[in-house]
Amino acid sequence: MSNPKVLNWPAIPTLTPDEVYAGLSDQAKNYPLYLEAIVRQEHNFEKPEALARLRVLDCSTRMMIGHWCSSQLAELGAEVIKVEPPGGDPLRKLTPFGRQEYMFKDKETGEEVGGQFLHEMRNKLSVTLNLETEEGREILKKLVVHSDVIIENFPPGQWDAWGIGYRQLREINPRLIYCWVGQRGQWGPLKDKPGMLEPTAQAACGFVHGTGDPKEFGGQPTRSALWMADHVGGTAAAMGILAAVLYRDNVSGEGQFIEATSAEAIIRILDYSWAWYSMDGSIRPRYGNWDLAINIYAVNPCKDGYMMVGGGHDRLWYRIWRTVGDEQPAVEEDVLGDLHLRDVSERLGHDMQVKTYTMLGEWLKDNSRSSAERKLSKQQVASGGVLYVNEVAEYPHFKYRGHVAEYESPHYGKILYGTTPFLQHKTPGRLKWLGRPVGYDNEDVYRRLLGFTREDFARLSKAGVTHEEDEEE
Amino acid sequence: MLLICSGCQTKNFLDPYPFWNFKGVTKCANCGKLWRIETSSGTCISGPEAATGTPDLLPGFAEKPDYSPISGAGLTRPAPRARKDSVCKPIPIERNVRGQIVSGHPLKKDDLIGSRPKFIAAHSK
Amino acid sequence: MAKETGSATQTQSFEEFCRETFDFKKAFGKPEALKGYRVLSCTQYILGPSCASYLAELGAEVIKIEAPRRGEAMRHTTPFNEPFLYPLSKWVPERGTGLGFLGANPNEYFISVDFHRPEGQAIVKKLAAKADVVCENYRPGTFERWGIGYRQLKEINPRLVYCWMGGFGGWGPGRVRASYDILGQAQGGNFGMTGKQEMFGGAPSKHTIWLADYWGGMMGAVQCLAALYWRDKVSGEGTFTEYSQVHGVTRQLEYALPLYGKCGITRERWGNWDTQLCVHGIIKCGKSTYPDSQNPQENEEGYILVSAYEDGDFARLCKVVGDGKLAEKYAKAAARLKPEGQMEIYPILEKWAAGKTKEQVAEILDKAGINNQPVWNAKEVANNPHWQQRGAVQWMDDPTYGDLLHQGPAYKMSATPPRMKWAMRPVGADNEYILGKLAGLGPAELRRLEEQETI
Repeated sequence: MSNPKVLNWPAIPTLTPDEVYAGLSDQAKNYPLYLEAIVRQEHNFEKPEALARLRVLDCSTRMMIGHWCSSQLAELGAEVIKVEPPGGDPLRKLTPFGRQEYMFKDKETGEEVGGQFLHEMRNKLSVTLNLETEEGREILKKLVVHSDVIIENFPPGQWDAWGIGYRQLREINPRLIYCWVGQRGQWGPLKDKPGMLEPTAQAACGFVHGTGDPKEFGGQPTRSALWMADHVGGTAAAMGILAAVLYRDNVSGEGQFIEATSAEAIIRILDYSWAWYSMDGSIRPRYGNWDLAINIYAVNPCKDGYMMVGGGHDRLWYRIWRTVGDEQPAVEEDVLGDLHLRDVSERLGHDMQVKTYTMLGEWLKDNSRSSAERKLSKQQVASGGVLYVNEVAEYPHFKYRGHVAEYESPHYGKILYGTTPFLQHKTPGRLKWLGRPVGYDNEDVYRRLLGFTREDFARLSKAGVTHEEDEEE
Repeated sequence: MLLICSGCQTKNFLDPYPFWNFKGVTKCANCGKLWRIETSSGTCISGPEAATGTPDLLPGFAEKPDYSPISGAGLTRPAPRARKDSVCKPIPIERNVRGQIVSGHPLKKDDLIGSRPKFIAAHSK
Repeated sequence: MAKETGSATQTQSFEEFCRETFDFKKAFGKPEALKGYRVLSCTQYILGPSCASYLAELGAEVIKIEAPRRGEAMRHTTPFNEPFLYPLSKWVPERGTGLGFLGANPNEYFISVDFHRPEGQAIVKKLAAKADVVCENYRPGTFERWGIGYRQLKEINPRLVYCWMGGFGGWGPGRVRASYDILGQAQGGNFGMTGKQEMFGGAPSKHTIWLADYWGGMMGAVQCLAALYWRDKVSGEGTFTEYSQVHGVTRQLEYALPLYGKCGITRERWGNWDTQLCVHGIIKCGKSTYPDSQNPQENEEGYILVSAYEDGDFARLCKVVGDGKLAEKYAKAAARLKPEGQMEIYPILEKWAAGKTKEQVAEILDKAGINNQPVWNAKEVANNPHWQQRGAVQWMDDPTYGDLLHQGPAYKMSATPPRMKWAMRPVGADNEYILGKLAGLGPAELRRLEEQETI
C-alpha cells in the first residue's frame, strides 16, 4: 500500500478571536473574552500546578485504567513515574491490526510505540524495573519511601504475596496512598484473572447488553469501540486518590488503600437500571440510538450521515416541528394534530417514538448534518451530526478551543492528540510532553531518588533487574 | 419513510434505521395489502407498488387517518420491552421485587408528613 | 481507626483482608474525606449534578438548588413513562419523580430557589459565602447576568472553587450551542467509531449510559478535588474551572487522533471485535439461557466475550473448538490481527457456540483456562453475588421512597470510604432546614417567599 500524502494539520486555518466575535457589541463580547483571558491554554505555563507536590508511581501494565488514572494526575501537575518491566509496558506494542506503519518510531533508537500507549504517555517519566526479582522489589520499596501514591493492577494478591502489597508498604511509608485498579476486583467470587482486559468490564456490568439496536431492530449487544470502562474507572480511581490526599494532608497524616474497578465505575453510572429492576423486575432493554426516557432525544440517519436532535420538553418539541414544518408542512400539521403526542410523558411509548422519528426522518432525509444544525439552531434546539475523527480534528470550534492540538516530540516527531479538558483559571491541566521511550529516565530517577552509582546501574542491568538480561544498556 | 396505503389511507411508519436503505416488501398494518418499495438514504426511489407473497419487514407502527393506533403481532414489529407486559403509562407500585415497601404510587396531600409519605415515615419508626 | 500491626495482618489471607477492609456495610463507622466541606449544586440534567454527587459521596454537604414546585427537568424523565417515585414535592404529591433523576443526586439536601428573582439571587449569595464549591451547568454567562457568576461570587468568597460544566464551553464559535450527552458523544467522536462495521451494513451506536455526562461529572470532581487541595495546601485561593463535555469525549479517543495525524487514516467501526487484539471479541451463543421466560430480554440468545489473544491461549482455544487448521493458520498474533484473519476466526467461534448458552460456553472456556466474560443483562448483574458482596449494587432503605436497589460508589477507600446515604429527595424538601441555618430565614419569611414562588 503506497503512503498517501498526508497534509499538515490543520488543513484549514483556525479562526481568530476577531473573526469569532465579529459584529458583537462590547457587552456581548465581555463575558466570553473574560473567559478566554482566564482559561486559554496558551497561558497554562504562566500558572502553577495544583498537584506539583505529589509523586506518583504508576506500576500498572497492559490495561488502560492505571495509565489513564495517572494521566489525570500528571496533567494536573503530579510527578508521575511509570515503572515499566524491562522492555517496556506490553501495551506499547499494540497497534491496530498489527500494522507497524501506524506506530511511532524513536528517531535515535528506532524503538516503536503504538498510538494506544503513546496517547496516554503524557507528562510521565519512564523507568524500568523487574518486579519479578527480589532485588527489583527491594528497589520498589525504596522508591515508595519517596512517593505519595502508588498505582498497580497486578493479579489480585500478587503484590501482597511478593511482600510489596498495601499491608507491607504502609509499614514502610504510612503516608502512602496505595491504589489497586482492575476490571472486576481483588476480592469476591469473580475477582480478576491474569490477562483480563477491557471490554471485560463492559460486558460484566450490563453496559454491553444495554448498548446497540434492540433485537427487534435486527441489532445485538454492542461494546464501545474504546476501552471505555477503563477511562471511567481510571477517573474514579483519580477521584479516590485525590480524596485520600486531601484527607491525609488535612486531617490524618496517613495514607490508605484504594480499589477502583472499571466494571463498578460503570455500574455507578448506569443510572436507573438497578432501581428499575428492583421496583418491578424490569430489565433495561437496548434502545439503539433512541432514548427510553426522553423524546425527542436521538440520533437518526440524515442525508449525509447521522444526526442528533434533542428536545425533551414542550418548548423545544414545538420548535423542532416548526423547523420541520418550514419544508414539510404536512408533517408538522399531522404531529401537532395528534392528541397522543400532546403530553411530554405520553411521547415516551415505543409506538409514539416510532412515529416521531419516522416523521422527523421525512425532514432529515433532505438535510445534511450541517444544514439541519443550522436550521434547528435558529430555534435554539440542540443538534449536531455524528462526526468522524477527521471531522473532529478540523472542526472550527474544537480547533479554536484547542480540543485537538499537535505536539512536536523530540523522539517521535509530530503527534496529533486530544488535549486535557482541565481548563482552569489558576492551576490548569497541561501537556508537558507526549511519549517517552522505555526507561528514558532511569538515570535521572534512580540517581536523584536512590543515589545509584554507575556500578549500581551496571550490576542491576546485568542481573536483569532494570533491563532485560541480554539487553545492552 | 411514511407509507400511506393507497387502499385504506392508513399511515404506516417505516422507521428510519431498518428502512433507510431497504429493498423489498412490506405490509399495511390495517388492511394487509402488500407493497414493494425501494429506499435509498431515506428517500423512496421505487414504488410503492402492489406486491404478492410474504412481507420482508413489517412497519414499526401504524395509524388510521383519525390517529387511532394500530399495532400488534403480525401487523407491526414488536416493541422492545423491559417486562412481559408494556403499558407506557405510570405503573403504581407498592411492593418491590423482594416484597418490601416502596413509594411508587401517587399520593394525596394528606398522605404526607412534610415531604415524606406517611407510610414510609411510619415504617421507619 | 484501629491500627493493625504487621504481624497480625499477615495471618489473614489477602482476600479476607480486602473483604474486611472494603466492607461497605462498615463504611458508616469510618470518617469522611470531605467532612466539613460544603458544595452548592446549581445544576440540572446529569453533567453538573453528578459532579456534585461524587463530592456528596465523600461526605461534603451538598445543597441542590432547583426551580420551585416543578423541580429539575430530569425529574420528568423515566423509561417508557412507567416507573415513578412519589412525591415529586409536597406541593405536587400526586406527581412522581422519574427514575432518570436517580443516581445523579444521592446524599444531597434539596432546596428550591428561583434564580431569576433578586430575592432568589440574594439567597444564593448568602449560601455561596459559606460554600467551598459552586457547581453550575447553565448556559455560559447566565449566572453572570443574574449577579451570581464567578466574577461576583469570588468577591464575596475568595476561597470559592467555581466549577462550570457544559457542552461546548463558554468561549469560541460554538459557545452558544446547547448540548446534551449524546450530542457530546456524537460531536466528540466516540459515537461514530462504536457499533457494527460499516462494511457489514452497520450504523454508529451511542453508548447506552450518559457517558459524556456522568464521566464528565467525574472529571469535574477531579478538578474540584485538585483545586481544593491547591487552595487548602498552598494558595488559600479559590478558582474557576471550565469543563466542556465534548472536549472530554475527544480526549478519550485513544489512538484515533495520533493515527489520523500520522497517516491520514480515520478510525472506523469494528463492531464487537478488537482492533488490537485477537481473539478478543464478543460472540453470539446461539441458545437462550432462559428460553421459557416471559421477559423478552431473557428470551434472547446469549453473548460472551472470549479473550485468547496470546499465542498459547489461542492454541488452547482452537483445541476446545476442535479446529486444528485454524490453530495452524493463525498460530501467530500478526496473522490473527489482520482484518481477514478476524473475519475468518470469529464466525468459526460463533458456529461452535451456536448450540450453547453463554453459561455453557463460559464453563467450557473456564475449564480450558481461557478468559471469558458473559454479557450480562441488568437482572443478572443485580443478582450477581460478586457485585452484591462488594456493594456495587446495594439495597438502600431510602428515608423518603422506601426499599430501592441503588448503585454503590465507583471506587473503594479503606479509611474514608465514600458511601450512599439516600437516593434523592422531593423538590424543596430541605428548604426549612437549609435556608434556616444558612440564610437566616425564619418560618414567616419562608412562607412569604413560598407564596411568591421565589422558593
